[in-house]
Amino acid sequence: MSAADRERLFLENAAIASAGAHSVSGTGDLLAALGRVVAMDSPVYCPGMTELEKAAAPLFPVRAADYAAATVTVEEVFGAIAETGTIVCVSAGGRAVQAGLLPAHHVAIVRRERIFGTLDDLFAAVSAALPTNMTLVTGPSRTADIELTLAIGVHGPEKLDVIVV
Amino acid sequence: MKVLLFGTCLVDTFFPEVGEATVRLLRRFGATPVFPNGQTCCGQPAFNAGYEADARSAAAHFLSVFDGDDPIVTPSGSCAAMVKHHYPDLFRDDPRMLAAARRTGERIHELSHFLVHVAKAHEAGLRGKGTVTYHSSCHLTRSLGVREEPLTLLASLKGATFVPMPDATRCCGFGGTFMAKLPEISCALAEEKAAVIEATGADTVTGCDSGCLMNISDAMKRRGTRIRVAHLAQLLAEGL
Amino acid sequence: MSPAQTSLRFRENSVRAMGDDALRAAMKQATDTFGTKRADAFAPVTDLEALRDRASAIREDVLANLPMYVDRFVASATRAGATVHRAKDAAAAREIIAKILSDRGAKRIVKGKSMVSEEVDLNDHLEAAGMEVVETDLGEYIIQMEGEAPSHIIVPAIHKNRRQVGKLFAGRLGVPYSDDPQVLTKIARKTLREKFLSADAGISGANFAAADTGSLVLLTNEGNGRMVTTVPPLHVAILSIEKMLPSLADLPAFLRLLPRSATGQTITSYVSVITGARKPGDATGAKELHIVLLDNGRTEILAGESRDILKCIRCGACMNVCPVYRTVGGHSYGWTYPGPMGIVLTTLLTGMKMSHPLVDASTLCGACVEVCPVRVPLVSLILQLRRRKVREGFSDPKERRGMAWFGKAAASPFLFSLGQRLAAIFWPVARILGGKDVAGRMPAPAKTPLRRRLP
Repeated sequence: MSAADRERLFLENAAIASAGAHSVSGTGDLLAALGRVVAMDSPVYCPGMTELEKAAAPLFPVRAADYAAATVTVEEVFGAIAETGTIVCVSAGGRAVQAGLLPAHHVAIVRRERIFGTLDDLFAAVSAALPTNMTLVTGPSRTADIELTLAIGVHGPEKLDVIVV
Repeated sequence: MKVLLFGTCLVDTFFPEVGEATVRLLRRFGATPVFPNGQTCCGQPAFNAGYEADARSAAAHFLSVFDGDDPIVTPSGSCAAMVKHHYPDLFRDDPRMLAAARRTGERIHELSHFLVHVAKAHEAGLRGKGTVTYHSSCHLTRSLGVREEPLTLLASLKGATFVPMPDATRCCGFGGTFMAKLPEISCALAEEKAAVIEATGADTVTGCDSGCLMNISDAMKRRGTRIRVAHLAQLLAEGL
Repeated sequence: MSPAQTSLRFRENSVRAMGDDALRAAMKQATDTFGTKRADAFAPVTDLEALRDRASAIREDVLANLPMYVDRFVASATRAGATVHRAKDAAAAREIIAKILSDRGAKRIVKGKSMVSEEVDLNDHLEAAGMEVVETDLGEYIIQMEGEAPSHIIVPAIHKNRRQVGKLFAGRLGVPYSDDPQVLTKIARKTLREKFLSADAGISGANFAAADTGSLVLLTNEGNGRMVTTVPPLHVAILSIEKMLPSLADLPAFLRLLPRSATGQTITSYVSVITGARKPGDATGAKELHIVLLDNGRTEILAGESRDILKCIRCGACMNVCPVYRTVGGHSYGWTYPGPMGIVLTTLLTGMKMSHPLVDASTLCGACVEVCPVRVPLVSLILQLRRRKVREGFSDPKERRGMAWFGKAAASPFLFSLGQRLAAIFWPVARILGGKDVAGRMPAPAKTPLRRRLP
């Protein structure tokens, strides 16, 4: 599968899983996309650890120092999986995986060269050096425990946006 | 072609007309049906309830009565499945009987399968009438894999309209000894099946296993439904 | 709450359940929905049989080498920083976990869904020791509040309708009544978040454990599994030993089968892979990870003829297609595991003496075998247990005598024919003599049976 196909498949599957799926080229476009999806009056947590996160952080007028106090987390994630429309969050390098769990809105930035084709590809790449916590995230949190009626937004985020850069 | 008819204990005792219809069909399509008089039961009731020794007793008798090279035809999916799939299991510790079980298993045909693949009865322009729906019995469908043949035969009946049954493969609740051990659940399942049948608007429901048809018929009676319950053999024989 | 096992009263339980119209309607809707969703999810999967074969083979390899994989898991998990405990039985598991918690003064525990924790009656034990245990899976939260047992392994509160849940929340949480599932879910989100953030410990199960990396794998949709395993400082995971996979590389085969089989999803919202406790340089995650590996009779089952039940990956597909389960619901089976896999596992884990009516709770229709993603031979296993039931003397004496006569009559055309004649003569009597359950549902024997109509 070509890189372009992988990206297309990833975006398709992410959207099927009820994530907002966006594709941009370059930092300028990324900032524009963030401007569109993030509610600018909400407290945003952005770790500012990676290049892209450092570029994005100044965009947000209301910054939360702690993800527990944030309504939105904007962060770059480890990678993505085309087969299932999944983003991969890891705890390596001092990253707080809960940052994408507690706030109501998770905005995940992923570099297009970090999109794996299949689940097998991901596990092959990470098994040698697994972080303490690796979470495969596909869409927002959900349940159908009450009468099998789908309810989006249970304990994890109610809204997930993924932006491929 | 000589064909040995295994009536089955249910047909023999309660629904002999199904056996007679089977004989007429076999004759019509060039077979010479022979009813070995020593036949009794395939042993399923004992086998399904966990009584292996008693099942083996029935099975050994079956194998001796039906010994030979001629094809065996039976109007019952569950009995054909019993012979084909469970007899080898019953005789796993007896090499001679195991070999006999395997050989006999290869010779036995469920009726609709025989009629389509050997007799080509679906090409014979049989007649039918009314609106018919079909219950796909569990062992017939899942053990023997006979899914299309009854439908092919029904579709070939000129003058009859076929209406598919939703959840046709859902169990009717007969389950052999299940019917006796957990009658309330058995009745509830039969009720549900009867309701689904009524909702199809058909005037006739058919199938390839008399146990199922008997259970469905009982539920219909309790509901006061006047849909005819008939074995596929009967419908086809009437169309000759 | 874990009530005492009532499997011996299966028939009685089922009659009561069938009289509950709301329950029957809920069961029908749920099983129909899941059945359809599963079929829809697998429709585009062209290599389903190959996937099932592969998953089945992996599970068989695990069972063939279970002690080795367990040892390997213990070593790798320990290397990764977890403390691993082996619990021989339910009592041992309860004691180990209670001690871990009380040693650290843990009072408020948040819990993710775990069938084995129900199997060992963990909650009652911890609560008796003065701890607050809060179930955080929405379905488990609901039934915990009601004081009921789960009725399905994937959707434990499937037997409750929205009005019942609305009344429950209004009564217990002091919120205004609503029967809108969206609103009820948001209420649960708010009340449980407070518990997550203040909990001393989190208890979870695990869907799989990878022996090579020592990782625990949790498949969840709500996010509570993630909360429970990373927010509190202490994480205790309990899982039964057959949950092993040889390698993390085997996981994709199951990720492609389990969610589709269970709920018709392509994949669950979250797949958490937890490898050890927080390490230097980690920003978050439990500081301590204790893993309790439960045996509780599985080693014995492994050595016996029914070992294939241990291939089960707890997807729930079998119960979703079972005509009996659909009609009587999960509680009728009287213990932790219902439906086809429940019949087998319950009988093996709790013993024939406590469970034998369950082995009859099947029409042997085979719908379960058709959908099991790992090819557990459920019908064969049930037949095996029926044979054991007879051998071990738990079958009805009248039935034994009847079957002995059947065996004789089936081997003797003379006796068989005689039996037919007697049945025809005495049918009206048989009907009256309490035959309404059987004879009353059958037509009278034909005056002339087939054997006397044909040459």
